[in-house]
Amino acid sequence: MNKPAHHAPNKAQRAELEEQVRKSVERALSRNIPGLALQQASLELDVGPTPKEIVYTRDSLRLYHYLPMTDEVYRVPVLIVMSPVARGYILDLAKGQSFIEYLLLQGYDVYLMDWVPPRREHAHLGMKDFALDLIDESIAHVQQDSGENDISLVGYCLGGFLASVNAAIHNKGPVHNLVCFTTPVNSEGMALYKAWVETKAFDIDRLVDALGVIPGDMINASIQALRPLQKQANQMQLLNNVQDDAFVKASLRFDRWATEQLPVPGALARDLVNDFLRGNKLLRNEYVLDDKRVDLGKIRVPFLHVAAEYDHIVPTAASSDLVKLVGSKDKNEIVVKGGHVSLIAGGNAVYRLWPQLDKWLSVRSV
Amino acid sequence: MEKDKLNPMAVWREWFVESEKAWSQALTEMMGDEKFSKGMGRYMQEALHSHRMFSEAMSQYLANLNLPSRSDVLDVSDRLGQIEDTLAAIQVELRQQRIQLAQANSIASHETPGETSASAKPARTRRPPQHQA
Repeated sequence: MNKPAHHAPNKAQRAELEEQVRKSVERALSRNIPGLALQQASLELDVGPTPKEIVYTRDSLRLYHYLPMTDEVYRVPVLIVMSPVARGYILDLAKGQSFIEYLLLQGYDVYLMDWVPPRREHAHLGMKDFALDLIDESIAHVQQDSGENDISLVGYCLGGFLASVNAAIHNKGPVHNLVCFTTPVNSEGMALYKAWVETKAFDIDRLVDALGVIPGDMINASIQALRPLQKQANQMQLLNNVQDDAFVKASLRFDRWATEQLPVPGALARDLVNDFLRGNKLLRNEYVLDDKRVDLGKIRVPFLHVAAEYDHIVPTAASSDLVKLVGSKDKNEIVVKGGHVSLIAGGNAVYRLWPQLDKWLSVRSV
Repeated sequence: MEKDKLNPMAVWREWFVESEKAWSQALTEMMGDEKFSKGMGRYMQEALHSHRMFSEAMSQYLANLNLPSRSDVLDVSDRLGQIEDTLAAIQVELRQQRIQLAQANSIASHETPGETSASAKPARTRRPPQHQA
């Protein structure tokens, strides 16, 4: 019996077959598991969608102005100070899930101090540069650009620390309102970091001298150590919700942001370890910067602190003293359920927290 | 969801997510222990020392192989960062020029600044809604 003739497919046929298989698999997956139909590549491009212009740049600072979305804006512009260890796009994660977009829609004129990864030539930038010089220069540019002398200063996390220090030193300056999101002031509340840096074996000078700029991966690892299994839990939650397109999108965006921590200039890391984590000087009213005592009690402008009940990065034990230390008569604290990031990017923040912030800030922005 | 209840992997994942906080807390407490902290500090010093020694040895070796070292890659990264700085500075300058041009046009056409020009900024007259004021 003759065997049927067997012809091996040529190159073009193989390519066509492979393409057909690929398309079939993709179709089957996307039909059954919607979350897998998402392209990581397209997600990488869609963070920070709100239109903005760059107003000023120096070292690792980028000062942005977001284009207003209303015909009329409040008189006092808002200047947001982002934490220098994190990417600013968490404040403008996606359309409908953007703190900045929310502020614009409520009629605020919004500026953002964002940071690009510092390079070796920026290793010398310390607390004075961040909390005084760069914020002062940004305020001056916002004043010039907006034509207004008064500014509402809003700081997130370490950005709140910088904003508070600036407002305390320039207590008769242009800061009209001060809002801090989950801002650390008491290092006793950051038990793990405190334990690490207090041992003699931890030599911050040697680390800074050797590396110049502390790599983002090291910052990321130190943040992950605060909740070592969270990443795995998030991945499992992602698998359990893979049918939910919106959940997958939000999860991938968060994941991307959480792993993209910025490197930190060595001098700033040294100042934070010595003056804040080890010395706890801000709390003890012993902090001196640029020959000026940083006394938070001298802050007299309306003040709002927003904290998250389940914040594991800056626990309330590390931030709750801020409202006590600030000397303003008009001061408030809002503590909401949620974590460190959900305050400014969580799906529920737009309904729960941000309207409260708007209510507080709007009447103080005219 | 009913289907997930029958899926042992989904049940296990759910259990992991729910108990993660407790496990993480236990691990974090362990890492905050004095012995661990000392050990980590020592490890960091040793890692820095070996990193320096290894870098020095490798840079010569890589140079002989005509391959870039980490330092060379960082040089390229720094150069790219400087180019981005320059681009950002050009963007700032262009914005300034555009604003100045819009102001000049506004004056030339006798508009009240900020009144009718396409580039006019919104009026800073917004008031909070009645229920907030």
